Parts: sequence; structure tokens; C-alpha cells
Amino acid sequence: MAHHRDANDPKPRSLGAAALREADFPIPTGVLPADARSRRTESPTMQALRRLRRSTTALIGLGIVVALLLVAALADVLAPQSPIVSDQTQTFRLPSAEHPMGTDQLGRDMLSRVIHGSRVSLAVGVSSVLLALFVGVPMGMIAGFYGGRVDTIVMRVMDLILAFPVYLLAIIIMVIFTPTAGWLGTIKVIGAIAIVRIPIYARLVRGSVLSIKEKEYIEACRALGQRGPSILLRHVLPNSLAPVIVATTLGIGTAIIVEATLSFLGLGTQPPTPSWGWDLKANVAFIQANAWLTIFPGLAIFVTVLGFNLFGDGLRDALDPRLK
Amino acid sequence: MRTYILRRLLQIVPTVLMITLVVFVMMQSIPGDPVVALLGDAYTEEDAIKMREQYGLDRSVAVQYLIWLGRLVQGDWGTSVLSGQPVLKEVLIRLPVTIELIILAMVVALMIAIPAAIIGALRQNRWQDYTATSAALVGISIPEFFLGVLLLLLFSFGLKGLLPSSGWVYLPGTCPTIICNSGVWGNLQHVLMPAIALGVARAALLTRLLRASMLEVIRTEYVTSARAKGLGEWKVVFKHGLKNALIPTVTVMGLQISFLIGGAIVIETLFALPGLGTFGIDAIIARDYPQVQGFALLTACAFVVMNLVVDLTYSLLDPRIRYGG
Repeated sequence: MAHHRDANDPKPRSLGAAALREADFPIPTGVLPADARSRRTESPTMQALRRLRRSTTALIGLGIVVALLLVAALADVLAPQSPIVSDQTQTFRLPSAEHPMGTDQLGRDMLSRVIHGSRVSLAVGVSSVLLALFVGVPMGMIAGFYGGRVDTIVMRVMDLILAFPVYLLAIIIMVIFTPTAGWLGTIKVIGAIAIVRIPIYARLVRGSVLSIKEKEYIEACRALGQRGPSILLRHVLPNSLAPVIVATTLGIGTAIIVEATLSFLGLGTQPPTPSWGWDLKANVAFIQANAWLTIFPGLAIFVTVLGFNLFGDGLRDALDPRLK
Repeated sequence: MRTYILRRLLQIVPTVLMITLVVFVMMQSIPGDPVVALLGDAYTEEDAIKMREQYGLDRSVAVQYLIWLGRLVQGDWGTSVLSGQPVLKEVLIRLPVTIELIILAMVVALMIAIPAAIIGALRQNRWQDYTATSAALVGISIPEFFLGVLLLLLFSFGLKGLLPSSGWVYLPGTCPTIICNSGVWGNLQHVLMPAIALGVARAALLTRLLRASMLEVIRTEYVTSARAKGLGEWKVVFKHGLKNALIPTVTVMGLQISFLIGGAIVIETLFALPGLGTFGIDAIIARDYPQVQGFALLTACAFVVMNLVVDLTYSLLDPRIRYGG
């Protein structure tokens, strides 16, 4: 049984796979097994891309994500009607050729609202994670690399954020920011979600920096007389990126759910800006007679998050086969 | 073990202090003068000055924080504007509902995750595994409130009102007022859908984690030797496999609980349960800030206590923890 499984494993602990992580670790020829030597001509990035192309799940995920980005970018062209202007003669229409997803209590075309809702979801999902990344990654790197008092201070601040349940802290921050409509409101939501997500990246990066800084190639850099910041940027950062890239993709999925949840609670995106979470909440009151009004925005959130999760899973398998 | 528990209890103190500080900052950030709000139409300059003195509002922010903290410790959490009741009394009435929901959601999650992870790990790369992992991926991608809506459509409206769509029946003995519905069966009917909606997403994540660590554990030498000495497969899987696979899973439980509490707030809102979540959200919408403060404080402290319980469970599962850092 055990033998059979090991045979399926994509070389869990061979030198070739280890060198993939330590990107610029020079591979001495003649020491490695034959297959690792033949792979030497291919850069780790190319290897990862090749593996990614072979993964069906990753491709499906990427397809969903690209399609959604197109929908969000072309929302004005794709949406048959305005998502905001109401029409009192057209309230609660069943899904039909004219309104494929029906209309809501204000007579607004649901399809147009779902199409426009993708903008807020994707904008908040992507920007909040990027913002958390730009703050969290340097914090984690500095804390892990320099250690000592810097480490203690940075990680205490992270502990403070983690002392709160994610949603509770996001809710508290939104109470402080006070939710508003329009792009300013969207920025507030992005900020709130970014703050609660920072510790995740800081801890992740700190963890990998702690193990990387003990490696021989970092010792070699020091022996060559390179300075701390240069080692940090040129050697530590690239080698700690793989788990961060995976966490980023999966994090976008989570951030989209958090945005939808905040909007569902009435603390995220405010009307009239179309948002899937808000639409779902607003239509729960009419669920008994008009179920489709809650189902379409819900499905939109589900498919979007699924896309990012599929892509993130595929990316993880491609970047680090040992994690599979 | 006793020193370990004592040390963990002491570690709670700074965390709780930090929580109160954040909540204090939140209360300070609220626009408007509380004295103006309290005096209302009867506002005069002299009364305002008197009141500021009385509440310590003329002192520095640091002193104000200490006064505020002192009042919290004495059990004075303010008076709810919505109900006119002391906030502390109100939150303590709401707490059991939320705790019941979270515990049952956890039970649902474990009841799904443990079998799914074992099947996935023992049948790796076969259809059973693919089914379990795909289901887990779907479960992770579906927001709790959407799953709740789907359950509502199926069980409350689709199946002719099999389960109630909202409201609450208290467990016998937990009824907060003189007259209210109580009963075990009614309670179960009301809590079932919310618990499933909340538990499924956690089950999905647990399945993935547990499957991965099960895969690692069943390849270890102690499992091979357990098999070699002729132990039944059932015993090998549960006694040697699952117990060790649970250790890394419990580590991430803190984050799980974090999302469970957040999910409970949303699910309570959807199903109109009289728990902490609806208490907080109603207060935020009505701008009842003493009530918002009580909600934030108690929810954050509940999280700290739950994390402590997880840590202690962890040390029971893995004796190494008690002696190490």
C-alpha cells in the first residue's frame, strides 16, 4: 500500500525539487540525479508555468477569473440596462428573455446589477489583498530577518490584530470609518479588509524568512560582504515568494467573501452602488415569492470565489509540488 | 499541567487589555459630543460642564480610558438606548444562543470533516478522494449566508415549512424572561439550519487540512509498525492515524474559531436568532453605541476564551506542548 502511494508521489524530497525553491542556488553538475540535470536549462519560473499549464483545475480557475475581469471591465457595454435607475412599472418580473435574471422590488434589471456588482467584488478583493501584501510582506521580512526588538514589536502589533475575530475587527473598523456610497465607500471597505489581512502575510513571510536566513547561500552572501538590505531584497525575498503568491490568490477569494459579508450586514458597499452582498441581503425579505433575486447574486459570489480558489490550488501545486 | 494553565491564564490579561483599548478607540472615534446627546433639549452650558466633570470627560484621554476601564471592571457597561436595559445584562442573556450555535456548527463541521478526510486519505487519487476534495472546494467557496439562503429555500419554503425560517425557542432553563418559548425539540428545529449553514464552510476547510495531515501520518513508520503487528485497520486509522493527524489541525483552530464567530454574526442576522450577532448589528444600525461597545467587548473576549480552550485541548492531545514553550 505504502509503496504504491510513494510511486505516485512527484519526487517528494529529491534535490531537484529542493533547488526549485532556492531559486538562485547554483546547482553543481555531476552531483544531481540525471533528470534534475536535464531540467537545469529550464528556469524555476518556466517549470512552474509548465506544470500550471498541465493542471486542469488551474486552467478552469484562470478561465473563470479572466472571464470575470472582462465582465467587470466591459460592464457598461455588457449590461443591458442601468443597474441603478428604477422602473416602477417593471417590479418583481420573473426571469424572461427581456430580463434573464428578472427584476427587483425597484424594477431594476437583476442581470445588469449582477454584471456591475462584479466591479466592486473584484476591486475590493484584489486591492485589499494587494494592500495587505504591500504592508504585511515588508513587515514580516524585516521582523524575521533582523529579529530581536524589531521582531517583537512587529509581531505584537500583529497579535493585537489577531486577538479579534476577523469579521468583528472588520465590523469595528467599518463603524470607525462609517460606510458610505461611491468610490470613497469602496476604499474604506478595501482598507478595513486589508488591515485584518495584514498579519496573515506578515506571519507567512516571517516564517519563511526565518528558515531561509539560516541557509548556506545566505551565509555565502554574508561571507562575500553583501549588506543586509541587499541580501534581503535580492536573495531572501525571491525565495520566500512562492507561498506568498499562493496565499495571495486564495486570499482574494476570502477577501471577496468578507466584502460580500460586510455588505450583507449593511456595513460594506452602500446603495446605490451595485454589490452582490447587499443585493442578496435586500432581497432576502422577498425570498418566499421571489427566490431568484437572492440566488443570482449568491451564485455570482460563489462562482467568483470558486474561480480564485481553483486557480490558487493549481498555482500551489505548480509552485511547490511537495505541498500537494 | 497546572503551571501551564496558570501561565496561559496570565497571558490573557494583556490581550484583554489590548481589546479594551481598541474598543475604547472605536468609541472615541464616534462623531458627536456624548454630553450633548445625553442632555438633549435640556442642554445648558453649566449642566454640560457639570456632566463632563461627573463622567471625567474634562480629563486627558488616558485618564478617561482608565475611568472607563474601571467602570467596565465594576460591571458598568452602560445602558442600551434600544432597550433601556443595562448592556452587561443584555449581552449575557444573548451569549448562550451564540455559544450554542457555534458549538453545534463545530459538531456539524467535525461530523462531515473527519469521515471525509479519512476516506480521502485512504483512497488517495481515486474517485472517493476526488469527490471529497471537490466537495471541500465547493464548500470553501460558498459564503455562509448564501448557503443559509439555499437551506431556507429548501427546508422552510420548498418542503412546506419543515423547519422554521426564523426566530428562536430557548433550551429549557435558559429562558431570559418570565414568558418565552422553551423546549429541546423546538430549540433543535430552530438551530439546525443555522448550525449547518455555519458548519459546512468550516467542514470544508477542516477536510482539506485533515486529509493532508492524515496522508502524512499514514506514511510514518509508527503506522507501518502498527499495521505490521497485526492491528486492525480500524484501530490503525483512528488510534494511530487520526489522533496524530488532529494535532496540526487543532493548531489552525484559532483561525477557524475567528471565522466561526464572524459567521455566527451573519447567520444570526439571516435567521433572526436572538444572539450576540443580531444584538451587535441591530445596535450598529440604530447607532446605539453602548450596545455596540458591549457587543464588541464580549465577542472579542469570547474569542480569547475559546482560543484558550483550544490551546488546552491541544496540550491534552500533544503532551510535548506542556513542557515546551
